[in-house]
Amino acid sequence: MIARIARKEFTEMTRDGRFRAAAAVVAALLLAALAMGWKRHVEIDAQRRDAAEMTRRQWLQQGEKNPHSAAHYGTYAFKPKPPLSLVDPGVDAYTGVAVWLEAHKQNDLQYRPARDATAVARFGELTAASVLQLLVPLLIILLAFPAFAGERDQGTLRQLMSLGVPPRDLALGKALGVSMALALLLVPAAVAGALALATATGGGSLAAEVPRVATMALGYILYYGAFVGLTLTVSARAGSARAALLVLLGFWIVNGLIAPRLAVDLARRLHPTPSALAFNQAIDRELKQGINSHNPNDPKLIALQERVLRERGVDRIEDLGIDFAGIALQESEEHGNRVFDAHYGALWDAFARQDGIHRAFAFASPLLAARSLSMAMSGTEPDQNRDFASAAEDYRRELIRIINDDVTRNGKGPGVEYLAGEEVWGKVPDFRYAAPGFATVAARRWPDLAVLAGWCAAMGILATASASRVRPS
Amino acid sequence: MLLRIARHDLRCLAADRAAWILVAMLAGSVAYGVYNGSTWVRFQEATLAAVAEDEASRLVQLRRDAEAIAPDAAAPVSWLDPRSPGVVAGSRGQRFAAAPPGPLAAMTVGQADLYPFYFKMTNRTKQTFIAGDEIENPSNLMAGRFDLGFVVVYLFPLLILGLSYNMLSAEREQGTLAMTLAQPVRLRAVLLGKALARAGLVLTLAIGLAVVGSLVAGVDLRAPGVPARLGLWIATVAAYGAFWFALALAVNALGLASATNAVVLVSCWMALVVIAPALISVAVTSLHPVPSRVELIGAIREASSKASQEGSGLLAQYYEDHPELMPASSAPIAADFLVKLQAVQKTVDETIEPVMARYDDQLARQQELVDRLRFLTPAVATQEALNDVSGTSLGRHKHFMAQVDDFHQVWQNFFIPRVMRRERFSLDDYDAIPEFEFREQPLSAVARRAAGGLLGLIAPSAVLTLAGLALLRRYPVAGR
Repeated sequence: MIARIARKEFTEMTRDGRFRAAAAVVAALLLAALAMGWKRHVEIDAQRRDAAEMTRRQWLQQGEKNPHSAAHYGTYAFKPKPPLSLVDPGVDAYTGVAVWLEAHKQNDLQYRPARDATAVARFGELTAASVLQLLVPLLIILLAFPAFAGERDQGTLRQLMSLGVPPRDLALGKALGVSMALALLLVPAAVAGALALATATGGGSLAAEVPRVATMALGYILYYGAFVGLTLTVSARAGSARAALLVLLGFWIVNGLIAPRLAVDLARRLHPTPSALAFNQAIDRELKQGINSHNPNDPKLIALQERVLRERGVDRIEDLGIDFAGIALQESEEHGNRVFDAHYGALWDAFARQDGIHRAFAFASPLLAARSLSMAMSGTEPDQNRDFASAAEDYRRELIRIINDDVTRNGKGPGVEYLAGEEVWGKVPDFRYAAPGFATVAARRWPDLAVLAGWCAAMGILATASASRVRPS
Repeated sequence: MLLRIARHDLRCLAADRAAWILVAMLAGSVAYGVYNGSTWVRFQEATLAAVAEDEASRLVQLRRDAEAIAPDAAAPVSWLDPRSPGVVAGSRGQRFAAAPPGPLAAMTVGQADLYPFYFKMTNRTKQTFIAGDEIENPSNLMAGRFDLGFVVVYLFPLLILGLSYNMLSAEREQGTLAMTLAQPVRLRAVLLGKALARAGLVLTLAIGLAVVGSLVAGVDLRAPGVPARLGLWIATVAAYGAFWFALALAVNALGLASATNAVVLVSCWMALVVIAPALISVAVTSLHPVPSRVELIGAIREASSKASQEGSGLLAQYYEDHPELMPASSAPIAADFLVKLQAVQKTVDETIEPVMARYDDQLARQQELVDRLRFLTPAVATQEALNDVSGTSLGRHKHFMAQVDDFHQVWQNFFIPRVMRRERFSLDDYDAIPEFEFREQPLSAVARRAAGGLLGLIAPSAVLTLAGLALLRRYPVAGR
């Protein structure tokens, strides 16, 4: 019986010109978005790879110079673009693309791509994720809002119920019918997406993407399940098809446009972040408490010098056998690192708490859970931006430590110029960033999946309950 | 007659609870939007106050340190000497180039939350200070703000459509339309009267609230250009509202059922406000893609490492080009790191400038295309116009950046000769350090663009209204 109802719904929908038109539009947008995403991914990935190679070459071939100048010259770490970002670019447009790794200073990621875009981009760019998160639910609403209310308006609901169809079967059948119509659209799109992904990863690492894709797909299926359930519920309870449609559109607007903005406002108020000026002033103030290795008259530098002399049991800096400059430089780095850890840690924690509030709003707007999960699986969520920033910072500290060690060991002492070359630059390993694996991301983001499952289950229960109490007229 | 219909329609609306709810929602979102916008403006103002305070206290300290050095004392390390022009220009005496929030920024945050609004000037290359960003959680930027611009562009049309999707169809479905038309009144007058009544109500309310709210939030009417900008803001919102009323009128004139009207109008909203801007964005970014900045980083490093390797050569070259800056052999500051650096910076700037310009040119091309394509949807035309008149657009940011460029030039012209002549700063020099003064974008440029946008809103509204009125001739007054 369920199958028969589903087949009837499916046939009806696929014959409906409005559905065909809407589905064609959504399909065209989805495919266009995938194509755009693929093109952008391939371009940016190539540019990033070239840039990474180039900076490495520049680091190695910077010529003979004092190692500390080399540390000031530093190097750059470029944020990789994960393959699934072609589906969901997440916050990529609003985070920098690269970070300068230099002596004495932790830097933030530079060059947000959104600054190189027009105001039109703020309407929301056409990405596969925005189609999946906003337009497909709208299509579900347009497909299913007349499920009960439309039949009631036409008078066929009374007939149907007189046949003795169990209301639960009716609801299930209708849900299945909508799902089949959706599958007609989404399965080919998923195949196209998989093909795009396969060519974007170069084939090799495609297997690694499978659990991510599967989890993302599961998230979207639950999200759509919630929308199907909600639409059937409203359709069964509303007085007319028109009322059902208006209520559902109202929910769609709250879900997609209003709740995310309110969540952001609330999060910003609850967990404020400092202005860039205040942040940097606080860091500067605390850096000054440490050793200034560039000022020979700094009392802390002199104290350190005395301590080192004492520890080594010599009277003069010339008798140390090592270059004190390297020790002083590293000492000031260590102090700086503690300051950066405290400030950047607090800042990133505030961001994370803000994001936590956005996710908590998923109880009002399932979009927020779906988006969070989708970005996480694509590797374009804020948390993974932080992962990259931390990895780059760890690499910076390692780089500076290697260089300072070299100054300590091979430096010629005060007043004598020490020049190093490629064999020293080569001691610093190349920066290789491994994004967190599926298990790590899934361990962080399973609550999103749980919230979506909760929405789906609640809406399913509501839909069956509403169907069993549906009034025939 | 029109007036009587309008008055009667308002009385009917007043009895409708749904209408009251819609109006209350409009009022609530306008108030919240203004509140949010003014929070952002207050943040910027507080930051700029802190910036000014930082600059003032630093310069006072610098001068005090310079005065404290006895003229015959041994020179401190050159990169700490407060009298060394390189030190003043690049660290201790740096002044800020800052732009205050746009005149109506509380009413439309626009693009302003993406752009830095102050720069610490330096004698180094432009790229060393240009890339800084205000701190903000990327997910907040992605979600966008609930400012008045959002309320106007997204929510305002929905409330208009909610009030007007069944202007005629409801009366026909209730059977009252035929009775009304039995009186000596034309259908045209009925529809027009109803549309005008509702438009009058909604527009007065929305604009009145927005203006009062923004005045409370601190928009200064006495500032030059602000009344004109506010006038343009009001005209844009009114024209945008008129477009949606005209659309509702035209759809009502088709003679469909109320439910169908609602679906058609919501589909139009979706197409014009959600889908069309995304498509315009696709067109703009695919026709004039801005390359990734990672290329710029590579170019900058290439140029700077090459220049520093040739450092001494560049310095010699510099003095050859500028013999007037050649220091006397007894110059007070030795030719050190800072002097060499200055020669290197100049070369780097010259190499990088064309690379940086490529990004700006490409973005300018994108904006040009947007200027043309904005007429495809009133949502984009309105957003652009609101950003322009509020002073939160890309255009205003470019206007600011051009002034920053000029100021950088002034800064360089003031400091570089002093660095290269290896002079010491005299006490008078501290008072002569150039200061930045922001000049607001001229009203004429803003008004021209906003007027174009207005035309792009009024023309389709007029066409839709006329088409709707023409369609009324074949309107099925009775029956479904």
